[in-house]
Order: sequence, then structure tokens, then C-alpha cells
Amino acid sequence: MTDPGNAIPEIQGAAGGIRQSLQRILAIGLLPLLIVTLCVVLGFLEPKFLRIGNLINVLRNASFLMLIACGQMLVLIIGGFDLAVGAVVALASVTTALSMGVLLGVFPESPLLVTLLGAGAGLAAGAAVGLLNGLVVARMKVNPFMVTLGTLSIASGLALYLTQGVPIYGMPDLFTHDFERLRVFNVPVIIYFTAILLAVLWWVMNQTRYGRYVYAIGSNEHAARVSGVRVAFMVVVTYTLCSLLAALTGVLLTARVGSGEATLGSTLMMESIAAAVIGGVSLRGGVGRVEMVALGALFLALISNALNLLRVDSKLQTIVVGVIIILAVGIERFQTRKGKR
Amino acid sequence: MTERTALRPAIGPGAWTRLLRFFANYGFLPVILVALCLGFGAVEPVFLTVQNALNIAEQASYLIVLAAAQMFVLLTRGFDLSMGVIVSAISVISAMVMVAIAPEGQGPVLLALSAGILTALAFGVIAGVVNGTLVAFFDINPFVVTLGMQGIAFGIATTVSGGFPVFGIPAELTTFLGQDGAWFGFLSPPVAVCLLILGVSYIILNHTVLGRSLYLVGSNTRAAEVGGLPWRRHIMMSYVLCSLITAVGAILMTARTGTGEPSTGGGLVLLSIAAAVAGGVSLRGGEGRIIHVVMGGLLVSVLSIGMNLTRIDGFLQQVVLGIIVIAAVFLDRLRLRIRS
Repeated sequence: MTDPGNAIPEIQGAAGGIRQSLQRILAIGLLPLLIVTLCVVLGFLEPKFLRIGNLINVLRNASFLMLIACGQMLVLIIGGFDLAVGAVVALASVTTALSMGVLLGVFPESPLLVTLLGAGAGLAAGAAVGLLNGLVVARMKVNPFMVTLGTLSIASGLALYLTQGVPIYGMPDLFTHDFERLRVFNVPVIIYFTAILLAVLWWVMNQTRYGRYVYAIGSNEHAARVSGVRVAFMVVVTYTLCSLLAALTGVLLTARVGSGEATLGSTLMMESIAAAVIGGVSLRGGVGRVEMVALGALFLALISNALNLLRVDSKLQTIVVGVIIILAVGIERFQTRKGKR
Repeated sequence: MTERTALRPAIGPGAWTRLLRFFANYGFLPVILVALCLGFGAVEPVFLTVQNALNIAEQASYLIVLAAAQMFVLLTRGFDLSMGVIVSAISVISAMVMVAIAPEGQGPVLLALSAGILTALAFGVIAGVVNGTLVAFFDINPFVVTLGMQGIAFGIATTVSGGFPVFGIPAELTTFLGQDGAWFGFLSPPVAVCLLILGVSYIILNHTVLGRSLYLVGSNTRAAEVGGLPWRRHIMMSYVLCSLITAVGAILMTARTGTGEPSTGGGLVLLSIAAAVAGGVSLRGGEGRIIHVVMGGLLVSVLSIGMNLTRIDGFLQQVVLGIIVIAAVFLDRLRLRIRS
């Protein structure tokens, strides 16, 4: 009786070791590994993929998604949701374009001022939506799902109403042409811009009190409150930051497409959650890292680029993204369940 | 708590407590509904005609069917974000089946209709089984599962017909299930089907083990497990029922337009959840009755038809809807606070 009893833990220990190392690979290395594998396979299948121009293109597309996914990550970490990010992108785009049109009439001489003020207006519109989200969630204790579903409807309704569904042109060339095409060492500025922002965000999450509080609220809101964290205030700040990042994405996308459009960003809500979830952010709150979310966004951008190069219908791509989302969370779920045992 | 309830009869229900009790039991919705009707009627007298009332009943019945479907999963603390695009996918696929068997009504019409309807129901069951299995047996967050399913169904809806509406459905579908049809000479088909669905749902929720179990699972999963209920299977069944009822809604909507529409579904998720939750179905699970769904569906329909009649811009209507959703959920929280 005692022999098998002693033997079993030993076997389990060995299996546990393998499982543990496997888990470690899954936890840290799976996503980078997947990205490298994907790149190699794509390089073989379609040599065009490895051209510098295409790789820069992938990075540029990924940087939009990285920004908005990091915003989504913040809200997910505190145990919330933001369904309105896509609508905020549209609202910011429309506001930027419209206000630039008006401002050009006021200050025709200084396109720089017009650009800055216009972008500021777009960001302000986004921040307003985020503030509303945060206040209603934190103060009125309404389920974030319903709140952001409501603001999704409000923001996209406003964007459509302001434009009546027509793209808005007439922004300064400085914004839509010069800024968009500006390259340093042959790399578009938006990539540097995103890299700097991600670094700042990483620093905020890891080195500042705000970051610590956000993780604390997400893991155990009650404990955080008892320890003296002003939970409601932090929640408002977090929702506002998320919408601000979404609005920034909207402004940058507006520069990219050259017009303010109320339909911009319609797929970004789903993709931002997908990128965050693939990057290991838990939907139950408390867990999530900036660098992993950035990799998640890169992964999605790579997949979409690959499907384009392989000439897969763009509409079929949503199927692939859908399957990937479910798989990513399924794997995470599987891991935590193993961890508990 | 107990002391207060014991004291109440002694004091006697004053007007204020009686009012509070009414709100606690029925919510603010009946009052809001009446106020809205009177308000719209004051601006546009056409709103208060029998003709318009019938119109509202008809428009609301589509939404009520979908909201009832949503309620089954809301009860278990889940939700179905894929509902809207599933409507689109089913509409396109069943239309293609019908057109393939009897193009432009030339051919075995009865066979075409039944094949189309069966395809729709089958697709609904499949989608529900996939959603339900992933949520119940793989323990994956329903938000993620149905978001993923939304992507998948959207891909199907927009590619099988190349993204174009499917024309050439036998006209019998519209005369049998569309708005212009009349069962027994007077009953509008969508209203009749809606009442049928509501009746069946009522029986399932109140008189079957499955139905009672859904309430228990939603309010206390642990208790359901301890009580020995096969709760995982029941949660899965709630997703199957949800998608099955969604399929019925999709058939009705296909009959309404007479075409397979790849893009009708988009806003329906928001509307169905809004209607259910505004009506009083709780997002925290375990709470929701058929009457809630009916009232919520009526609220959204009254608003949208009223705003159309008073010529409010269609895009602004979206803004109003968003505000109403948030306000309704907030009032629901208030109701729960009054009751406790």
C-alpha cells in the first residue's frame, strides 16, 4: 500500500515538471514563438512578405491596434469592459475633421495651430465619452457592459449625425500629408510615436502608484478599498485613459485615410479585445501586461497581412479572428485550471 | 429587515409606500411607457390611433422574440453577442436554400419553404450548441465565446452570397409569415408567432425542471451544483434555446423583407439586450420574466416609432437609444434598492 502511495507523487512530480516547463513556455514564450513561426512560414509561402516595405506596413497597422488594445487592457485589468472604443475612434475622427475645417477658416495662416487644436478637439471628444463611462460605472454602479453599450450607441450616433454618413475632407495638408508621410530612417513617425507611448504606458503600469492601484483594484476591489485606494476615482481615470487612447487612434487613423469618417474603427472594438486577450489579459481582472498586449496586436496585424497576401477574402478574416479569440481564451482558461490543480 | 416588514401592516400602507411597492414590483417602465405614449401623442396625434397601435405591436413582436431569446442566456449570467449576425447568417443561408429549390416560386414551393425553415432552425441549433458547449463545458467567458462566434457568423453571412442580398424567395413566405399576411383572417403572423414563442418560453421557464434550474444556476451556481442539478447541461441548453428562438426571429425577418439580408443583424444585439434589460431582466442572472421582455420590447419600439413619427433624425435616435439604455439599467438598480 505504501509503495504505490510513495511512487505516485514521484511520477506526478516528474510529469508536473514537464508540465510546468511547458506552462512556462506557454506563459512567456508562446506568443513570440508563434509570431516568429508565422513570419518564417509566411516568408516561404510568399516572399513578398519579407520585403522591408511590407514589414513596415505591418508594424504601422499594428501600431494603431496596439494603442487601442492597451487602452482596452487598462479597463479589463480593473475588471471592466469598454465596448465603445470603436465608436470613440469614429467620433474622434469626425470631431477632428470638422473642427479642423472650421479652424482653417479662422486661422488660414497657421496649419500647425489648426492641426494641434483639431487633434486636441478629437482627443477631448474621446475623453468626454470615457469620463461619462467612468462616472456612470463608478458612481452609479451600473454594469460596465451596459454602460459602454449605451455610449457605443451614443458616440456612433453622434458621429453619424454630425457627418450624415458622408466623409469629411478639408484638413490641412500638414496633417493628412506631411505628418502622415514623415519618415525618420525610412520608418514612419507613427511607429516611433507608438513605441514611445507604449514605453510610457509600461512605466506607468510598472513603476507608478497608479499602475499598482489598477492591478490592486482588479485583483480584489474590496481589499483595495479597505487599503485606502480611492477606487471610484481610479475607475474614472482608467475609463478616461482608455477612451483617450482610442481617440488618439482615431486621430492618427484620420491622418492616415485623409478624411473624417463615421464608419472608421467599426472592427476595432472586437480586435482590441482580441489583442488584449491574446496577450494574456484576464477578463476577470487583475492580470495584463503592456508588452504582451502589444505582441497580441502585432500577431493580429500579421495574420491580417498574411491573409491579404494569400488573397483570402477580407470578410473571411473575421472568421479567423473569431476562432483565434476563442482559442486564446480557451488556452488561458485551460492553464489556470491546471494551475489550480 | 424582518422587523420592518412586520411593522408595515401596523402602520398601514400610505400612498407613498404603496407607490414604492408598485415601483419595486413592476419597475418604472409602465409609467415611462404611458408617459412616452402621451408625449408622442401630444406632438403627433396620429400616434394615438388604433392603426398605429397595431403597427407598434407588429414592430415590437420581432424585437420581443429576440429579447426572449436573449433572456434565456441572461438568466444564466451570460449573454449572446453573436445574435445579430446569426440573424443575418440564417437569413442569407435559408434564403439561398429556398431559392435553390424554387427560384422565383417556380418549383415545389412547399418543399422550398419547409427546407428553408428547417435549415434556419438547424443552423440556430448548431450555433447554440457551439456557444453553449464552449461556455458550459470549457468554462470560457460567454463574452469571448459569443464575440468570437460573432466574427465567425459575420464572415459566413457576408461571404456565402458574396455580400449581396438574396432575391427570388417564393412569395408564399411573405404572404404566410410576413406583415401583410393574416392568420384566421385577423391575426398578424409576426404577432402570432411572437405570442407562440412567449407561451412556449413561459411554460419552459415556469413548468419544467430546465426552466427552474436556469433561475437557480443564474442566482447561485454553487447551490445548483450542490443540489445535484446537471447545471452545465442546463446552461448549454439555454444557449441552444436562445439561438433556436433567434432562428425563428430570423425567419420572420426574412419573410418581412422577402430577401435574405446579410446586413440586417448589426444593431440587433444592442436592441435585444437593451429591451430585455430595460424591461427588468437582470444582467447578474437569475432574474427575469416574460412580462419584462414584453415591456422592454414595447418600450424600444414605442420610442423608435414615436421618434420616426415626430421626424427625429435617424442617427440622433441612436443617441437617444443609448441614453435610454443607460437610464433604464440605472433605474433597475434603483428598483432593487427600493425593494431591499
